[in-house]
Amino acid sequence: MTVIFVVAYKNTERLIKKFLEKYFFHKKTFAQMTLMDLAGDLAVNLDLQEIANLVVNTFGEVLQLKTVALLVPDPLQSHFEVASAFGWSISASKKIRLASDTPLLKKVHQTGPHVLMRGPVLQSLSWQEANALARDLDSLQAAWVIPLFVKGELVGLLAFGALVPDTVFDQGDFHFFREFASAIAPCVHNALVVKRLRQLNFELQDSQSQWVQKTKLNAIEKLAAGIAHEIHNPLAIISGKAQVLLMQKGSKQLDPNVQDALNTIVKQTRRAADITRKLLMYSQGSRGPQEWITLEKVLDETLSLLAYQASMDKIEIVRNLDPELPLFFANMQEIREIFLNLLLNAVEAVGSEGKIVVELKYLRDEELIEIVCSDTGKGIPAEHLDKVFNPFYTTRHEAVGLGLFVTKQIVHRYGGSIRVESQVGIGSMFILQMPYTAEVVKSMGTERAGAQVLGAGRK
Amino acid sequence: MSLINFGHTHAGRNARMNKLLIVDDEIEICEFLKSFFEDRDFKVSVAHDGVRALEQIALCQPEVVLLDIQMPGMDGLQTLKKIKELYPKVKVIMVTAVETQEKIEEAMRLGADNYITKPLSLEYLEKDVQDKIDILAKGS
Repeated sequence: MTVIFVVAYKNTERLIKKFLEKYFFHKKTFAQMTLMDLAGDLAVNLDLQEIANLVVNTFGEVLQLKTVALLVPDPLQSHFEVASAFGWSISASKKIRLASDTPLLKKVHQTGPHVLMRGPVLQSLSWQEANALARDLDSLQAAWVIPLFVKGELVGLLAFGALVPDTVFDQGDFHFFREFASAIAPCVHNALVVKRLRQLNFELQDSQSQWVQKTKLNAIEKLAAGIAHEIHNPLAIISGKAQVLLMQKGSKQLDPNVQDALNTIVKQTRRAADITRKLLMYSQGSRGPQEWITLEKVLDETLSLLAYQASMDKIEIVRNLDPELPLFFANMQEIREIFLNLLLNAVEAVGSEGKIVVELKYLRDEELIEIVCSDTGKGIPAEHLDKVFNPFYTTRHEAVGLGLFVTKQIVHRYGGSIRVESQVGIGSMFILQMPYTAEVVKSMGTERAGAQVLGAGRK
Repeated sequence: MSLINFGHTHAGRNARMNKLLIVDDEIEICEFLKSFFEDRDFKVSVAHDGVRALEQIALCQPEVVLLDIQMPGMDGLQTLKKIKELYPKVKVIMVTAVETQEKIEEAMRLGADNYITKPLSLEYLEKDVQDKIDILAKGS
């Protein structure tokens, strides 16, 4: 019963308002009611973008303005930027930035919550000051600026310009603008706080997941170091005794079966040791020495390792090089490991017949070195795509599944990224990007100049 | 006459025999390495720690030392440093179970002549030991 009454009452109130608007106030007041309704609606919204869009669009349409822009402080409070604009192209409005010491912002801080009017305010200033302020207003295409204050803090600016040059607002309008400002300012403020909170939360999650990743790696490193130490000695003994028997001098020929078994023992102990060694090498944060290396040379060395297997299997390997590939500052061993893992993977995927293309590119604009390795192999099922870089992920029963994990670790150490695109039955493409570190280049100074000359001479 | 001759031959063979010291705290590793190199006419002595290693070098004067890095007490790197100080001519091949870049670099800085990782390839090790002995023979 009460509910119905309240609802009815609310509606009646609205009707009365509308009635009053129509009969007692002029048309402009209707616009004011619309805007105040809007302010009410905004109070329950916490999305800055939505609020900003609603404010500028409604304000612009209702008051039939040429331009409206809502500016808010950036998270670091170093400047104001456009949250949303009406009558502006998005790209133009995104370029607007007001540093916190610009004449307009200084003026707003002086005058407080009063609406700034271009004409009167410029007249009140010396011509130098007026010029400076006019530049700010011109950049916003604004004749009026409504400051949004919350408890003395400037949380936004609503800057607008009229279609008709001689548009005037009366005292009542200005009074309304102030009221409107004080109604929407808290909404903008809340939304700003929420936005900042979301951002901080995101950053927190990000650093948390980085920390988890690092902890995992540390655990793997400790484990690998422990295992390697404890296991390599017994492996050395097993393998050593077998080798002593195999290489014994002056004794009679071993039974072929025994010889075969001993060879297997030697081979398999080596394999077991390689697992722990690899794990250890790449979970270690410590890095080998870095130098200016020719990626092409490292690639060719790696390709020569695989050439025999590839020729046996009718695999065509094509290298596709950027003619202006710069020297890269890196650890040779790590880069070799990247190429080897990508190529071994590709050879394995291709099987007995197919094609592998390795591309080395220098993306000048982004200052990135890009390595693309694509194959016509069996491809990776979509549901496995996010797992291929995990440690111990493998599709081969005799493989360890560290190749791509290791590759990813190395690429990350260079501040780069690795991703894979794949289609089952068609092939896979691994794309690596590593920054061509300008800072390193800068700090290397003359050394770099020499290296580049060398690089040019090589061509 | 024949007795003297026999003595000469024996002494001569002994002088030509290459001498090797194996240092590892794993007894089994020392054992198979010993039997492998003895099979190849080396005179092999064994030590299980750094202090003993230095004693054995003084006693047997080996040309080559196989030295494990991880040992209790005086470790391989400390032993290496001492060997190179006291017997700079002796060739030292480091043997490691877990190679970290720093340890290997440190060993090389201290004058190690090579390093080899476990499990060992005896074929490679034999060749490397022989190389070191050849270098010594050329030098003298």
